[in-house]
Amino acid sequence: MKRFKSIVIAGLSVLVFAAAVLPAASASAQSSAALSIVPKKNYVIEPGKSIKDTLTIRNLDSEKTLELTLRVVDFSYTDDGGTPKLMLAEDAPQTTWSLKPYLTIPKSVSIAPNGTKTLNISASIPAKLGAGSYYSAILYAAGSADGGNVGLSASGVTLAFVSVPGDVKEDLTLEHFGAYNPPTTTDKGGYMFITEAKPRFIAYTLKNEGNVTESPVGSITLKNMFGQEQNIDNINPNSSLALIGQTRTFSTCIKLASEEVEFNGGTTQSRSCVEPDLWPGLYTATLDLYYGQNGNNTQEINHTTHFWYLPWWFVIAFILVLAAATYGIWRLVQKIKGRNFANQRRKLSRRRK
Amino acid sequence: MQHKLFRLHAFVFNWRHIFTEELVALVLVLFIFIAPASAAMRFQERSLYMNSTVPGATTSYTVSFRYMSPQPVGSVDMLFCVDPIPYHACVTPPGLDVSNATLSTQTGESNFAILSKNSNHILLSRTTSAITTNASSYKFDNIINPTDTSQSFSIRLKSLTSVNGTGAQIDFGSIKGQVTDGVIIETQVPPMLIFCLAQEVEENCIDTNDTFYTDMGTLNSQSTLTAQSQMAVGTNASGGFAITANGTPMSAATNVIDAPSTPTESKPGTNQFGMNLVENNDPDVGENPEGQWANAIASPNYSVPNMYMYVPGDVVAYSPNVSLMKKFTVSYILNASPSLRAGVYTTTMTFIASGRF
Repeated sequence: MKRFKSIVIAGLSVLVFAAAVLPAASASAQSSAALSIVPKKNYVIEPGKSIKDTLTIRNLDSEKTLELTLRVVDFSYTDDGGTPKLMLAEDAPQTTWSLKPYLTIPKSVSIAPNGTKTLNISASIPAKLGAGSYYSAILYAAGSADGGNVGLSASGVTLAFVSVPGDVKEDLTLEHFGAYNPPTTTDKGGYMFITEAKPRFIAYTLKNEGNVTESPVGSITLKNMFGQEQNIDNINPNSSLALIGQTRTFSTCIKLASEEVEFNGGTTQSRSCVEPDLWPGLYTATLDLYYGQNGNNTQEINHTTHFWYLPWWFVIAFILVLAAATYGIWRLVQKIKGRNFANQRRKLSRRRK
Repeated sequence: MQHKLFRLHAFVFNWRHIFTEELVALVLVLFIFIAPASAAMRFQERSLYMNSTVPGATTSYTVSFRYMSPQPVGSVDMLFCVDPIPYHACVTPPGLDVSNATLSTQTGESNFAILSKNSNHILLSRTTSAITTNASSYKFDNIINPTDTSQSFSIRLKSLTSVNGTGAQIDFGSIKGQVTDGVIIETQVPPMLIFCLAQEVEENCIDTNDTFYTDMGTLNSQSTLTAQSQMAVGTNASGGFAITANGTPMSAATNVIDAPSTPTESKPGTNQFGMNLVENNDPDVGENPEGQWANAIASPNYSVPNMYMYVPGDVVAYSPNVSLMKKFTVSYILNASPSLRAGVYTTTMTFIASGRF
């Protein structure tokens, strides 16, 4: 009996120990933090209809399982660029363009090392929802680490846009247009009226006061002082969007180079700006811009602006030429004056004689 | 000289009675009102309704616009191009085919029939007659949509007096359209965003050291504690990517070590937490971004060597367009004042990678 008791106590002890230790072990097991996701989804859904789609997520880690929790968060814009400002707080107020109430996604997913999972999602638009653009972000959060002073956690985001067709309010206003210097690690960039460096970009800034996201198209014609033209045929090569309420700067290369590059087993097109063929001087840029949703009026914005491209070497050469010409004219004037003075003296001396 | 001026004044004074100020004003008004009436005008309220926006689908298009000039119209020319500008060369939108289009409905200015058509061109014709109803629409069936969702297309419109689309145009204007649902071209991979994070990662994300935290050591007011982590990111999406840093500054219970909101040098002896994404020598920590893609960069505020800051939610690295893999090293610094309360100061930095819109 005593032996039986001791076996039972030993067994219970093992169970208690296991219960105490095993959850702790799994809690401290860190998820993989290497993932591949779809960055953006676009849908057109009529009021009263719904769509079903899939999201493909890959775990790039060869050893650890990727444990993700999913949730829908709203977003707006950070600045005049295309970076989303995610509203991560659980109690963040819902935006007027939120897709949250209409989007259904799984709560969590577990993906084996080097594995891929396809998640089913759906979006249902109520029959009475007005036409316009609705958007939110699907946030995939990997588990955070325990221990140390600085724990690391990786998350990914898919931006989801739904366009509900119908009569929408479209209102873009042009705020700036001209030669543009994009931000770099050392310079915050901006528009330029006079530039010493050869401009590579032309940009335009639009304020969107409608109830839809807008992706303008059109062209820019660049003309030098001698009337020679060059066209920028695609003023929005990345199909960038101006979100609702956003003042968005769209920049485009004056000369664009495209190349096919390999990416993850396939090819993709990479575009980059190359040095344009510009001579120093005054340039006139003309913008012809179009926008409009399916079934709504196509709107048009036309604008002309000017900028100077004046490199230092040109300014110095110009000043030197100007100085030389001034000196030459001064010498000539002096010479003519001297000759007249000599002639007058000669005449006077003749009269005296 | 004065005599000559007097004669000029006398001459001009006489003509002043003929060319009065009123007459000059009338001439100016005529310039304003008559000249535009004889020039080509833009169609107004131009729109396109595509019954289906699915790439490659056979659907109907309703083209609507308002005639602006009063001149009689005998034909309407519709040219489908990628670019809307009328004087640019026309590139046919990939996949589009209007060669089987039929004119099923017309409202406003009517009695048109299709005179000729090919894959990207429709010419409507009728007996030349005056414009009586300005707002008009024309519905075409059996149009095959373009297949490229990455670019919009345009219909370049012009009205003409002739019945065969020749001669001078009367009104003109372009209409924008776009297919919206994605299709996968077999030779291309769909847009994807690759992101990995750990204490150490490979540039292509195929391997990490699977360590997700750093113990920085014991705080003191004489020296700066440092740590670093790495992340690699790449995308074939045309809009590029952005990485934001999120999380509260270091804290122990209610005690928080604040972070400067502008780039600031490391100041031992003060409470300070900060980070940047470049190589530093004061203190010696971090590395510059690695990878051939120059368009993927650390944000300007986090790119100044030996200067550190942290604002939760800040974009720390981004690319404005396609950028294949690039590796960033994040450097963290931690300083403490002598009066800092004892405790284990921790934080969890969540780096969120997203596409751009």
